Amino acid sequence: MARQVDTADLFVQARAGDGRAWGELVDRYSGLLWSIARSYGLNEPDGGDVVQMTWLRLIERIDQITDPGAVGGWLAVTARRESLRTAQRRGDRRLPYDVHELPYDVHKRSQSPPPEQVLLARERLGDVGAALHALPRRCQVLLRMLALATSYAELAAALDIPIGSIGPTRTRCLDALKRKLAP
Amino acid sequence: MNGMNDPDGMNDDELLARLRTTFEALDPVPAGVLAAGRSALAWRHPGGSLAELADDHNRPVAGVRGTPVRLLTFTGSGVTVELEVTGTGTTRDITGRLVPAGPAHVRVRHPARPDHTTRPEHAARTDTAGQFDLADVPEGLVSLIFSLSDATSIVTSWVRL
Repeated sequence: MARQVDTADLFVQARAGDGRAWGELVDRYSGLLWSIARSYGLNEPDGGDVVQMTWLRLIERIDQITDPGAVGGWLAVTARRESLRTAQRRGDRRLPYDVHELPYDVHKRSQSPPPEQVLLARERLGDVGAALHALPRRCQVLLRMLALATSYAELAAALDIPIGSIGPTRTRCLDALKRKLAP
Repeated sequence: MNGMNDPDGMNDDELLARLRTTFEALDPVPAGVLAAGRSALAWRHPGGSLAELADDHNRPVAGVRGTPVRLLTFTGSGVTVELEVTGTGTTRDITGRLVPAGPAHVRVRHPARPDHTTRPEHAARTDTAGQFDLADVPEGLVSLIFSLSDATSIVTSWVRL
């Protein structure tokens, strides 16, 4: 597998005007930013606004960023602030994100009968989905961010918790998920 | 972020990969959101001096029939931009003031417009008091750009109207 280009390098290339590097940065981080917005209970239009606003904020400050290595954490913090602002404007107190609201029934998403391989994949997804469903919200959010963040620093920024508390919480939530998945 | 193996043979990294796939299937980032992120690069304005949002509040409404007025203040190096925003439907009316006052051309930037152009009513000139009016600005993400007579420019940070 090709070695991933470092985020700091991508950022520096994008700042120098490389549109491809910018696109890669957007592809790499939009999932995390989207998850942060969703963790604040935002719907699709509001969540989309948060992600777009986060990228526009990076662009407006692109020449002032002094530590390219910290861009991932900067994006996560910015998305969290924008999400909070949007949630407050909506008067929405449902914090954080509730996985119960997701379209869990992945089996119903296709009209035509999918190939067996796809069915098997969905079966497995369904297992993880059902197991997540049974976990406390805190763990649902943490596991989603954990799966997407590229470092503990980003994870701490996304969740707004001290970096030192991630290890124990991570272990607890992963163990709880494994117990739910156990046959 | 490596973990220990667990009894059924799946280690933490494999489990996290499955989680990632699961969330991507259940709640994917909409394609339009990714496209908007990619196109954000086009909104870079090199050399523009950034005026950041310093205050955002609603003026208390007097009487039940009063219309709410949102007051926004942006501050940058030696410059302040004050905006009064009214309107609650799909468009907003903006009355603004540039301090210190000076001749400037004001333009609304609106990323919902793929062609990056603005209709004539979304551009204005400041008067001698630094004031300007922008009518029927579509709601959504907005940034103002001021082109000054000395060829420098001021850009406000993005805000949702």
